[in-house]
Amino acid sequence: MAVRIVKVKRPTQPWSSMRPWWAVVVGLWVSTRHFFVNLGRFLRGSQDFTVHFPEQRFVHPPALRGMPVLVQMENGKERCVACGLCEWACPTTCITIFPAETNNEVERYPEVFDIDMSRCMFCGYCEEACPEEAIVMSRQVEISSYSRQGSLWHKEDLLVPISQLKTRIDYLRSHYER
Amino acid sequence: MAAGAKLTDAPKLVHVTVDGTSIEAREGEPLLQALLNAGFDIPHYCYHPKLSIDGSCRLCQVKLEGIPKLQISCNTPVRDGLVVHVDDPEVHLARRGVEELLLLNHPLDCPICDKAGECWLQNYAMRFGSRFSRTRDPRRKRQKRIDIGERMLLDQERCILCRRCVRFCREISKTGELHIFNLGDRSVLDIYDQRLDNDYSMCTADICPVGALETKDFHHKIRVWFLEETASVCPSCSNGCNIMVCTYKNRIWRLVPRRNDAVNDTWMCDSGRLNYRFVMDPERLRTPRIAQQNGQVDTAWEVAVQEAAAQLNAFRARHGGKALGAVISPHLTNEENYRFGELIHALGVERCAMAVVRGKYDNFLIKPEKAANARGVRELGLVAGNDDGVDDLLAACEAGQIKGLYLCSEDIFHVIDPDRLNTILGSMELLIVHSLKQHPLLTGAAVIFPATTFAEKDGTFTNHAGRVQRIRRALQLPAGWLTEGEVFTRLLNQIEARQEQFDLSFIWQSMARNGTAFANVRFEEIDPDGAPLHNLA
Repeated sequence: MAVRIVKVKRPTQPWSSMRPWWAVVVGLWVSTRHFFVNLGRFLRGSQDFTVHFPEQRFVHPPALRGMPVLVQMENGKERCVACGLCEWACPTTCITIFPAETNNEVERYPEVFDIDMSRCMFCGYCEEACPEEAIVMSRQVEISSYSRQGSLWHKEDLLVPISQLKTRIDYLRSHYER
Repeated sequence: MAAGAKLTDAPKLVHVTVDGTSIEAREGEPLLQALLNAGFDIPHYCYHPKLSIDGSCRLCQVKLEGIPKLQISCNTPVRDGLVVHVDDPEVHLARRGVEELLLLNHPLDCPICDKAGECWLQNYAMRFGSRFSRTRDPRRKRQKRIDIGERMLLDQERCILCRRCVRFCREISKTGELHIFNLGDRSVLDIYDQRLDNDYSMCTADICPVGALETKDFHHKIRVWFLEETASVCPSCSNGCNIMVCTYKNRIWRLVPRRNDAVNDTWMCDSGRLNYRFVMDPERLRTPRIAQQNGQVDTAWEVAVQEAAAQLNAFRARHGGKALGAVISPHLTNEENYRFGELIHALGVERCAMAVVRGKYDNFLIKPEKAANARGVRELGLVAGNDDGVDDLLAACEAGQIKGLYLCSEDIFHVIDPDRLNTILGSMELLIVHSLKQHPLLTGAAVIFPATTFAEKDGTFTNHAGRVQRIRRALQLPAGWLTEGEVFTRLLNQIEARQEQFDLSFIWQSMARNGTAFANVRFEEIDPDGAPLHNLA
């Protein structure tokens, strides 16, 4: 069998990544900058270098994927139509939905919408799969509970008014090409 | 047809060139069917192999050489030397255009539509639809959720006017409830003077390529992508329609027909389709019950089998096997009935009967015998006579010749007058029963075994025409559960000191050896369309 050897031309690497020492310099620069910034604050007499939890709360950026919650519209109803796409997309199968029917314009709603937060891994697939912008990842990260039953969140607990979720929904629309 | 040609002549095979390759097709059949048979994936909505040609969706257009414009392949009969192009830029453009026009007024309610996941419009839109809508006009509004029948809902917005349901009601159910009203853009599917209440109305939801027609039974129940499908046979009558059992979380959510041209084409009746709730009935017996001094108590399966074997042996020693009667079930599989035949032979039983519930029937699919395997029992030679031996058995019971009964099914409760049955069952010394539910007539039973339904076991049914068809286990049974076949096998092992398992292929070998009608069929040949026991030709 004739063997033909082809020399593949590798794509040239960008200059920065070809020189590992450059990364060291960048890393050192970050540390040094923080050192001098904090030193300056210290010399000015400030004591606040950390956030004093729980009296103070850090405002998370909109990109943070906290607990998944259901969007509650102005009329108090959920936006969810129980289509089941989040249930299907969920890698840990922590979502349970039972649909039901009403006489409203949107005829379908979830009678049961449970999320087992002890299984949720905050991947955000449910939010990405949702065609109605009905489930979003909130900034809420304090979701510990005293019992396993407490980590099972029902529909009433998961509903959050849309006004509180505006930053995340705006972020979604700008980043997911909606 | 040419002069002198016989109607029974097989259609001539001709050659058609498709995209440069030559395929064989029957002359005169729709070109679309020939292309589909050859493995070409031609999108289509209105064409259905069991309905007449309509040509209303315009999606199956192909390019034919010698004809200047694209032609719909469903309405083009195959002829020799046809040269077809299906993978052609012109064809692709036409499909894109048709799809865009169909989606022009289609509501975007896939999240709440029960067809989502098995919707043809959805699939083809994903394949060659546009991602964005170019229209500036608002979508046309129509009525939604119209109650058009006892079991059906109509959503006029979703309808793409393929007229499959209209043709079904005219040609298959021959009732003609559905029509298209108005013209052009105002066309709308609706009922006129009678509601869609025929016995096959739910088939329209199957053939609807979109979610315009939905069954109330499945409406907003579960998304189709969660369902697992198991090929099986409908247990509701002796026609043996081929079905898919759709399950999720160990529950049946719906039964849908499966195509079998020898039995049910692609249809099934509504009563059969809705007859699955008895499987999930909470009142079903879940554990065997045996008689104690203070009445019947729940017990373990092995204990119940031991008790039944001991009672049967004691009864045989007391009165002999002739004093025992058997009522065979038309709901059990052929294999189980064969095993039961071995059991009653071992016990020396002489009088066997089978009670079959009879009901409404028509000349299409619904058959009078409301049990799946009555023919199988007769083919095995277990029962004889016009009434399958019921009167003979009951008369012998009343005459005191029979002092014990082994009931495999509770159908006899629905056939025989309850008062007569009550006195007969009350006079029995031994009563062993397989039953789905606890029944007031069964208070005197020594052992009651919970019956297993068609969805929970493997085996074969023989339909009214003698066609053996396979059923499969779709639901998981609780740990330790014994199906009827396993119970019969264990009883046989206890009584005859055998060491056997309930194994389908082994039983088929045994049935063939012992010269039953099942010797004509090999177990491996049954799938997927079944096999006839007697060669009709």
